[in-house]
Amino acid sequence: MIILEQNNRIIVELLEQKFANAKEGGKPESVNVTFADFDGVLYKVSNPDGVKTRIILSISLKFYAELQQHGADDLLRKVYGQNMRATPEPGFNVTLEYDLTALPDNTLELVQKASALKRNCFASVFEKYFEFQETGQEGHKRAVINYREDETMYIEAKADRVTVIFSTVFKDADDVIIGKVFLQEFREGRKASQTAPAVLYSLGEPPLELKDLPGARVGDNVGYITFVLFPRHTNKKTRDNTIDLIHSFRDYLHYHIKCSKVYLHTRMRAKTTDFLKVLNRARPEVKGEKKTFHGKTFQTQ
Amino acid sequence: MSSHQLPACVIDNGTGYTKLGYAGNTEPQFIIPSAIAVKDKVASSNAQALRWNNRVGGAGIDDLDFFIGDEALSPAASNYTVKYPIRHGIVEDWDLMERYWEQCIFKYLRAEPEDHFFLLTEPPLNTPENREYTAEIMFESFNVPGLYIAVQAVLALTASWQSREASDRSLTGLVIDSGDGVTHCIPVADGYVIGSCIKHIPIAGRDITYFIQNLLREREHTIPAEQSYEVAKTIKEKFCYVCPDVMKEFVKYDTDASKWLRTYDGINSITKRPFSVDVGYERFLGPEIFFHPEFCNPDFTTPISDTIDTLIQQCPIDVRRGLYENIVLSGGSTMFKDFARKLQRDVKRLSDARLQMSETLSGGRLKPKPIDVQVISHKMQRYAVWFGGSMLASTAEFYQVSHSKAEYMEKGPSICRYNPVFGALT
Repeated sequence: MIILEQNNRIIVELLEQKFANAKEGGKPESVNVTFADFDGVLYKVSNPDGVKTRIILSISLKFYAELQQHGADDLLRKVYGQNMRATPEPGFNVTLEYDLTALPDNTLELVQKASALKRNCFASVFEKYFEFQETGQEGHKRAVINYREDETMYIEAKADRVTVIFSTVFKDADDVIIGKVFLQEFREGRKASQTAPAVLYSLGEPPLELKDLPGARVGDNVGYITFVLFPRHTNKKTRDNTIDLIHSFRDYLHYHIKCSKVYLHTRMRAKTTDFLKVLNRARPEVKGEKKTFHGKTFQTQ
Repeated sequence: MSSHQLPACVIDNGTGYTKLGYAGNTEPQFIIPSAIAVKDKVASSNAQALRWNNRVGGAGIDDLDFFIGDEALSPAASNYTVKYPIRHGIVEDWDLMERYWEQCIFKYLRAEPEDHFFLLTEPPLNTPENREYTAEIMFESFNVPGLYIAVQAVLALTASWQSREASDRSLTGLVIDSGDGVTHCIPVADGYVIGSCIKHIPIAGRDITYFIQNLLREREHTIPAEQSYEVAKTIKEKFCYVCPDVMKEFVKYDTDASKWLRTYDGINSITKRPFSVDVGYERFLGPEIFFHPEFCNPDFTTPISDTIDTLIQQCPIDVRRGLYENIVLSGGSTMFKDFARKLQRDVKRLSDARLQMSETLSGGRLKPKPIDVQVISHKMQRYAVWFGGSMLASTAEFYQVSHSKAEYMEKGPSICRYNPVFGALT
């Protein structure tokens, strides 16, 4: 697995099972499951007011208010239509509702859409700025999404490009180095493929694009990753794919840092086993006659 | 910190299946085989073969090229070698285990491990070194903020609390854990496993299935041979129950067959023709092999109740009463209807006989206090270990007793050798 999956597997499995059960005419069971996703997202699947034939899926994002400013509600309504509740469950930001007694024939699409809920929440802000770029509107305020406690995403549109900047915090000193090496490979990647977006990486202090922003974090373990997306990436055809990939980039980066460490550990273990073999060979041979219990010795030939 | 708001991840790695999910739920979100399918080259522990610039097998991303769980057994992984990193409950191959966890976390749970506390499980008699390895992987590779390694038997005990009153919640008890391969009887005193008294019974789910399969083979000829194991397994899960007395049960079936006989309808997977199987004595004979192992295994003839009784008698005298009073079932093969009731009756009979004996021997002068034998059966039996973990990991206490990353950085992996028992007061 090189690229993280976009869908939430728990939603897929849960809804598929519930929908299949409802279609086969099985007895509806009560459900109450809480689970998480990347970026501090919390989901809850439950029955509204204990009605077992209805299922609601709620999502809570800490930064939803910021997404709302960029039209998240409208986009979600467009995607989920009447499945989206007008007022979300208390404590959550968006709630989708499914009636098990009135399911469409093809529930596959329904499940797919539901499992991409987090992605669609994120999509609004990208769509908006991609649109600005396409219509050549300049001078719009930069979007600032504090998508994690101490990590922020900035999006800015120019007539010829959209700049997306992530700030990320490395909890471990080693991660800083591994992250740096990993991101250097991105620059190499651009050499191999001309169509790739330009990626810039700066460690410690924000890139020049953000120099007017006093809130940007500075520190040894803070990294800034800048993507410059050209019309090639933001046009209507490729837009969805771009959003898929870029919204989970932070998780992708941290996933690969962890994979690299796992790989390093594998090699360290292998090396240790090799060294141990050498050490064992170096053990001095025990000389001396071996005697049986009765004191007899074997003839050496 | 955001980590306290997000639920902890609970991963129970068993020999056959791994149960994983988020704390606070009643069921694990995933139950996947503990199998990992890898390309052969990477699996070899040769340091040379692992070098990233070793271009033989591609551009050095082979370490990401593997499948876990059901995908490892699917046709998509047909060019891969399937391995099971866990043997007899204990992790054998740490390279594979590390990568197995990697996908558990990022592909299945989709959790950023830096945000969640983790609760992992270990079998009784796991070595402290293994705990250190686990800690190294979790803290170094995944940067988890906190880790707790719980003993499976203790979690099974805590899982039984929800069916009992708060005053009855104790961490002393005997756990009967019966999965597919083997049945363990594990005595636990105040949250500590009495390692010297653990007993293994070589009868578990698979043996019952084989036994039923044999019975059916003699009588039913419509079952396609290649499906007979699956059919026997389904019959076991759907129709089997435990009867109080085998002889009486035979009579019941013979006098009023229509009331007791069941039919199983299946479809031949090759010819697609339906077939049906009459299910008769198998319904109660299958689970009966726990109580009469001589039915299927001539080498092992001790009934489960005798094993339990002798086991408790071997334990320290001050915990025996507590063990009798709290016999907890866990694992899928203890799910048969009335299993708990029969076990309780049989163990009670044995202990009563012993008390009677001591009374007679003392010439009636000593009157022992009767022993209250209780076998606890509850709804969560099947995933008892995971459920216990999920319950404990959603308490505030869990965050206090877990080993934190800071502590790990300060003192090293040895902190995970000891995981304090908790939950007795809640």
